[in-house]
Formats: sequence, structure tokens, C-alpha cells
Amino acid sequence: MSKEEIMDRLSDAVVGCKLDLAKAAAQEALDTGVSPIDAINVGLVKGMNIVGERYAAHTVYLPQVLVSARCMYAALDILLPAVPKDQLKDAKRCAAAVVEGDVHDIGKNIVKTMLTAGGCIVSDFGKDVNPEKLVKMAEEAGVDCICLSTLMTPTMDSMKKTLDVLRETGYRSKCTVTIGGPPTSPEFASEIGADHRDLNAQDCIGWLKGAVWHA
Amino acid sequence: MGHKERAMAALSDEKVDTLAAYPIACGVCRKLIGDGGVSYREWCGDPETYAKAFLAGQRRFGLDFAIGLMDLSVMAGDLGAHVRMDEQNTPFVDKHIVSDMEDYEKLAVPDVRKGRTGVLIEGARLLAEKLGDEVVASTFIEGPLLALSQSAGAERLFMDMFTDPAPVHKALKTMTEYDSEIVKAMSQTGIEAICWDYLWGNYSCLGDAEYGEFEGNEYAKRLNRETVEGGMAVAIHNCADLPHLDTQIKKFKPSVYSMAYYPLIEGSPSAGKVIADGYADECVVAGNLDPQLFIRGSVGDVTSATKSLCQEVKTALCKRGLNSRYCIASGCEVPPDINCKLENIDAMVEASRKYGRMDGC
Repeated sequence: MSKEEIMDRLSDAVVGCKLDLAKAAAQEALDTGVSPIDAINVGLVKGMNIVGERYAAHTVYLPQVLVSARCMYAALDILLPAVPKDQLKDAKRCAAAVVEGDVHDIGKNIVKTMLTAGGCIVSDFGKDVNPEKLVKMAEEAGVDCICLSTLMTPTMDSMKKTLDVLRETGYRSKCTVTIGGPPTSPEFASEIGADHRDLNAQDCIGWLKGAVWHA
Repeated sequence: MGHKERAMAALSDEKVDTLAAYPIACGVCRKLIGDGGVSYREWCGDPETYAKAFLAGQRRFGLDFAIGLMDLSVMAGDLGAHVRMDEQNTPFVDKHIVSDMEDYEKLAVPDVRKGRTGVLIEGARLLAEKLGDEVVASTFIEGPLLALSQSAGAERLFMDMFTDPAPVHKALKTMTEYDSEIVKAMSQTGIEAICWDYLWGNYSCLGDAEYGEFEGNEYAKRLNRETVEGGMAVAIHNCADLPHLDTQIKKFKPSVYSMAYYPLIEGSPSAGKVIADGYADECVVAGNLDPQLFIRGSVGDVTSATKSLCQEVKTALCKRGLNSRYCIASGCEVPPDINCKLENIDAMVEASRKYGRMDGC
């Protein structure tokens, strides 16, 4: 099988929500000497971007996006360990988290998926994350960007607290911070000192690439 | 006009003095009873306290409807999910009860007279008894797909809907039975309407086919029918960004449709557009002030937003040849957070009365 055919299989498996095919294609890529970075960027990411575009156009919906993401992550589990460390040094490092007091993480997980599909190395800090703990994890991971999410009104204050701790520790100047979730707004982002309010996951990666990283 | 008179006129699209007004002020009304420090747990755990807060809210704000809304974790909690009950915030499920496909089939309808479902039902009876003469008294129930997503977790549920739908359908049948038991009990309370939360009928999450298969075609259809057969009107609340208006208004034919508006999201329908597109021909549309205004805005902000909405609605109603088929409301519940400003609710109702006057087109 040619390299192009393997790339197509990876992409098609993600678009078609085929978990076993995604894993098999990832293994085949490694077995036939395809660069794991190429397999990720040309195969998996291409597929996930197709899904993202179709989701934005409302031709596929959340169930398909989530299952496609599961396929992508399953293949990444096989490919990422094979990537030489030096080939990841230029990739942007991002973190996604749901702030303290909130456990609704579906939005955060979609953001994580689209950041991954955008070529970022993403750390999932989880949900209900204490501000001090979140900032410590960000420092340890050396992230360039933190994406904060909440579904609920009361926990918007946890976003503010997280930004406060980021400023207190001095890490704020080293990273971009975006926020998202139904109760948030661009005004709220400005009020708490975040850089951007993401309308959705595509908006998040689009803004980071266009306005921050100029990719 | 009296509150109920105005609401009934709007339901029939008859002339009104001012547009009907209803900030969805529910949990926040607990601040009006006792010393103002009643916790959310106390409020939603006792039917007397629950109803007393709505009565106090009615006395202070003078609303045209009453909706007995507790929160979205009532059914999941009574099914066994762990509910995180912070003292002054909305409770939510923090531990789901579905961890594998077999768990969907293990779900069983609980005794609706017990738990918080029981509080909701007895609370509805007291609400109708205390307020039924002056407002249209209704209660709020989670639709089957929402209740299941609260029990299983939305992400897990959505993936399972796609990869293995049969167990999900079994669970939805159980949830529909659960809802049906609640409808039967509610029909004996004296309330006049059930407001169904059919949240997942929105294009950010599900398409027409998916929503139809997993709620609209069978489960919601049955519950809407049983609501009417129980002598109650069907109302629907959907605060998502891109609601399935054709299905949920034209097909479900509710008496009231409560919705939000997200100006930054392309395609999110404004009040004017909803009216222009003919949805208010079918039922009273309610919306769509940003709930955040009540907690983060000033009295001036709320007054300004309400004035603007009233003007938009009045213009659209006149163009459409309608008299009163819109209720000035919040797009979702007024945040029941302890810091929510009651004076902002006063301001919204006052501005609705002032700027919502229907003196003719």
C-alpha cells in the first residue's frame, strides 16, 4: 500500500467514525515506515478537519464529531509514541480545562479535539480544576495557551480566579488565555483579562492561528 | 389587565394592554423568604418552602406566568446519580450512573412521589393552590433525552447514540415512562401547563434525523399528547443557540415556546426573525433577554435591553398582524446565584409594562 493510500485510510477512518480502521491504519503507517508526523498531519488531522468543517456547516452533528475524535485519539495513541522528540519542539502546547466548580466538559473536549486537529500538543487538565492547581499544571507543561471553559453562571468567578492566579504567579505573560461556554461573552473575557472569548472550538483554533500564532 | 387575563389573551392572540412579562425567576425567589438566607438545598428539598418562594416572587415582581422550575438534575438524582448540591448555586450531576452499555438497560422508573421528583409534584400542587387564580401556573419537567444525558453524561450518550443505539432507546423508553408517571401525577395537582425542556433539539448538537429518532418522533410526541390528555397545556423551553423551531413549534404545537438568543452565533434567531418567520402565528413565543444581565448588568442595562426587545417585538408583531403572541422573558432561568440582583428583575418587569404597551400598530 502506498503512503498516499495509508494517509487516505487514516483520514477516511476518522471521517467515517471507524475505530478499528483508524488503529489499523496507524499501525500500518508505522509498519511501512511512514513518518508518524506525516501520518498525523496529513492523515488524521486532514480527516478531523473535514469533520470540523462539516460540523460547522451543520451537515454532521455532535455524535459523529465525538466518535470521529475518539478514532483520532485511538490512532494518536499508536502514532505519538513513535514521534522523535525533536520533531515536536515547534508545536504549540495548549491546555484545556473546565474551571473549578463545574463538571460539564463536553465543550472543553471538543476544543481539545480541534486544537489537536490544528496541530497542537494538547494537555487535558480535566474538569472542576482548582485555579492554583491549574496554573501549576500549566507551568509544568510549559503551555503557550490555556483554554478555559464553563457551562454555568456561578463558576464564571472561577475563571476570574484562574486569571488572577495566572497574573499573581507571573505566568500570564507567558501564555494566551481563551475562554468559552454559554454564559461567557467577549465583554466578560475583557473584564477578567482573558485574550479571547471563543464562540466555538473552530473559532478558538482559528483565532489562535490567525491572531496569535500567525500560522 | 390582570396577570392571568393578560397571559390568556396572549395565548389567544387577543389584544392586551402590555406584552406579557416573565423573567424566569425561580430559585432566585428563595432570597425573598425567611431571612433571605434559605439555601438552595432547603428550597428544593421541601415543597412548602419551594412554593412559598414562588408566592413571594409573585408578590414582589407581579409576573404573568409561574413556572415551577427546580433544576436539571432532579430526575437523574432520583435515578441514583450523585447531585452536587452547593448551598447557594444550581445543583448539578457530578457522578453519572451509566458506565457501560448494560447500565442503560438497568435504569428503572423510581417512585415519583419520593425524592425531589416528589417535591416537584407536591410543590406544583401548592403553587397551583396559591397562585392558580392569578397566573397561569405551570411546572417544568426534563424531557427524556435531557434526563438521560444528565444520567449518562452527554458525551457518552451522544457517542452511544451513534455507535450502539439499541440500548440507548431502551433507556429512553424508561425515561419516557418516568416522564409519563410525572405527567399523571402533575395532572392531579391543579397546574395548567407543563413546560418541557427539550434542550437537545438544537442544530449545534443534533440534526433533524438524530433528534427525531432519539426524542421527537416517538418519545416527546407521546409526552406532549399525554400532557394534553391530562388537561394541561404543552409549553416548551429550549435555551440552545439553534433550536429546531420547525419540529418543536410547528410539529409539537405547544401553547408557549420559550427560547434564548445568541447574537454572536450565526443563525441564532432573534425575536423579530422568529415572529417574521411565522412561529408566533402558532404559539406564544417567550424570550429572549440574556440571563447574565440579571447578575452582571445594572438596572439601567436591564431597562435598556428590555426596552429594545419590546420595540423589536412590537414592530415585528405589527408587521405580522399579530396582537400579543410574545412574552417578554429571559432566555433561560434568571441565575439563582446568591449574588443575583433582585432589583434587575424589578427593572425588567417595570420596563416591560412601560415599553411593552400595545397601543396599536
